[in-house]
Amino acid sequence: MSIFGANATEPEESSGGNELDGADGPTAVDEPADPDGPGTGGDPSDLDAEELVLGYPTAPEPVIDGESIAAEPGAVTALVGPNGSGKSTLLKGLANQIAPEDGSVLLDGRDVHSMDTKSLAKKLGLLSQESTSPDSITVEDLVYHGRYPHRGFFERTTDEDARAVERAIDLAGCGHLRDREVGSLSGGQKQLAWIAMVLAQDTDVLLLDEPTTFLDLHHQMEVMEIIETLRSESEVTVVVVLHDIEQAARLADRVVALKDGEVRARGPAEEVVTEELLTDVFRVDADVVDTDRGPRVTPIRARHEE
Amino acid sequence: MTGGETRTDGGSVAEGEGRTVGGESPARRPGEGNRLGWLFEQRLAAVIAGSLALVVVAGLVQVSFGTYSMTVGGAWRAVFDPAILLDPRWFLNFLLGEELMRAATGFQGELPRLARETLVVWNIRLPRVLVGVVVGMNLAVSGAIFQAVTRNELASPFILGVSSGAGLMILLTLVVFGGLSTFLPIVAALGGSVAFLVVYAIAWKNGTSPVRLVLAGVIVGTVFNSLQTGLFFFADDIGVVQSAIQWTTGSLTGTDWEQVRMALPWTLVAVTLSLAGSRQLNLLLLGEQTAKSLGMSIERVRFALSGVAVLAAAASIAVAGIVSFVGLIVPHVVRNLVGSDYKRVIVGCLFVGPALMVGADVGARLGMSVLTGADAQVPVGIVTGLVGGPYFLYLMRRQQNMGDL
Repeated sequence: MSIFGANATEPEESSGGNELDGADGPTAVDEPADPDGPGTGGDPSDLDAEELVLGYPTAPEPVIDGESIAAEPGAVTALVGPNGSGKSTLLKGLANQIAPEDGSVLLDGRDVHSMDTKSLAKKLGLLSQESTSPDSITVEDLVYHGRYPHRGFFERTTDEDARAVERAIDLAGCGHLRDREVGSLSGGQKQLAWIAMVLAQDTDVLLLDEPTTFLDLHHQMEVMEIIETLRSESEVTVVVVLHDIEQAARLADRVVALKDGEVRARGPAEEVVTEELLTDVFRVDADVVDTDRGPRVTPIRARHEE
Repeated sequence: MTGGETRTDGGSVAEGEGRTVGGESPARRPGEGNRLGWLFEQRLAAVIAGSLALVVVAGLVQVSFGTYSMTVGGAWRAVFDPAILLDPRWFLNFLLGEELMRAATGFQGELPRLARETLVVWNIRLPRVLVGVVVGMNLAVSGAIFQAVTRNELASPFILGVSSGAGLMILLTLVVFGGLSTFLPIVAALGGSVAFLVVYAIAWKNGTSPVRLVLAGVIVGTVFNSLQTGLFFFADDIGVVQSAIQWTTGSLTGTDWEQVRMALPWTLVAVTLSLAGSRQLNLLLLGEQTAKSLGMSIERVRFALSGVAVLAAAASIAVAGIVSFVGLIVPHVVRNLVGSDYKRVIVGCLFVGPALMVGADVGARLGMSVLTGADAQVPVGIVTGLVGGPYFLYLMRRQQNMGDL
């Protein structure tokens, strides 16, 4: 179901993808969805963090101290914020990569921390910021790894695996790279391959940690188009950490702005991305102009006060 | 091992060809009727063939030469002596031991007499070759697993304290508890396994990590090695010291069918498990985070795979002592030849490991008499080090990117 629920075969043609108004979706927290296993019903999944406290064993203070956040079902939520604001930590907490010190993350009403790792991985995928792989693995083999949670210990790949891999490669637009070795790819091509891998996982919820950072413009747009396709043609719930606030505004149905581990603003992009927010959260003076492609942000100067 | 085919990293043209020939096209892959298609991938097939050839040649040399000398033809005839090959009782006798053979077949009389040459080959020389094969397999597979689990290119079967634990127990048995020396193989294997558990316990702190494991291995290794070296001072005669050195450097001298019987069952278990675990190993290579987010219970898998690797290492220690370098170098050789897919790496190791081990044992058994005319053997561990070191150097100079882990 999920990612490929709709015909998501041609990412290039995906819906121009700029009007945010069309996509306000079923608003925020709702439906204490059926707590049974994956694959039931066609409803988009929701992911709720409640009073989440996240930290690292080495740090005395938690990075995220009691925040609640709800990813809008079937839509794209962007997390933005300056370096060290806790975006990635929050994302890892949502993905159960860090055990919460307090609070909980509920995926369709079930605590992710108490879920079996494989059944969680069937419903929730995470693309980490830095991914390593052996250089000599081919793109296709890498994408096949995305099927790991769907396979039993001794099971070989099934036709369903093959279909999921094909669709993922298609959607990520890396068919031409299929037989290349990952070590020979450029950074942008690598990122597409990794996105294909996490798409092959075929999850209801997809968490992406800075998928566009360090990519050239072309590949940034490729990645954004993939996310736009997911938004418009599938019911996947996407949470994406983005460095570029303009990208976030353009891409996301909802934007959550973090600073020092606190949520400072949340809501539709045009409400969140404002000059005040940029001053408050990012400590820059900036011009924000509404255009028909969403808000345009022109940073003017950094603020140096206290 | 098979000469010039070594692949360079990063996709040269020649390699691209290799990929297409052997590579699975998406359409074929899932439905492909034969599950073992990947085995016939060109490079892997070449590695297997080359290694087999080496084992056969080295094995032939081993059975032909020695104190009782015979012609190569005579040795061949002895190996294929129908008196043995066509008599399952002999096989059972060798593989299960005389008692089990009698129990299984109900045979009570005397086994038929064999020709003298057949006797020498089958009773003395061939089992040594087989022990070499088994030890080579175990060490290579064990090293390959540890290199993936610790994501460390310098990992060997002995990185997590196994060799130092085994070494310490060997010395303790020989020097202090002389009464236990009949159980030496088992005591050594147990010492290695216990040391591994100690390493794991030290490394554990809300889970482990590759670096913590390796560091804990260094800690345990340092302490145990000091104790082991200290014990040498309490050895009162040279015989004990020589025996200790033989065990701690690894030797196939005097190995017999009994050693084959001892190691074979564990080897089968370890090999099966490591083949079954190859997909997990592949996933571990993608890094802990990715493995975790794909739903792997990483601590459980890491411990289980390490356990398999320790089992393999222990089986080889029990029959041959601590043979160094094989487990470090063979996985590198194989990866350089067949790429990083662990299914292929493990299969490659099953062939290249024996090739190196049996080849090195030729030097260990016959080298001294060729060089000096003296009728003496050196521990095979010395030869694997002498052969492996320079070859490793050659690989290192040749490759931009050694490990590709």
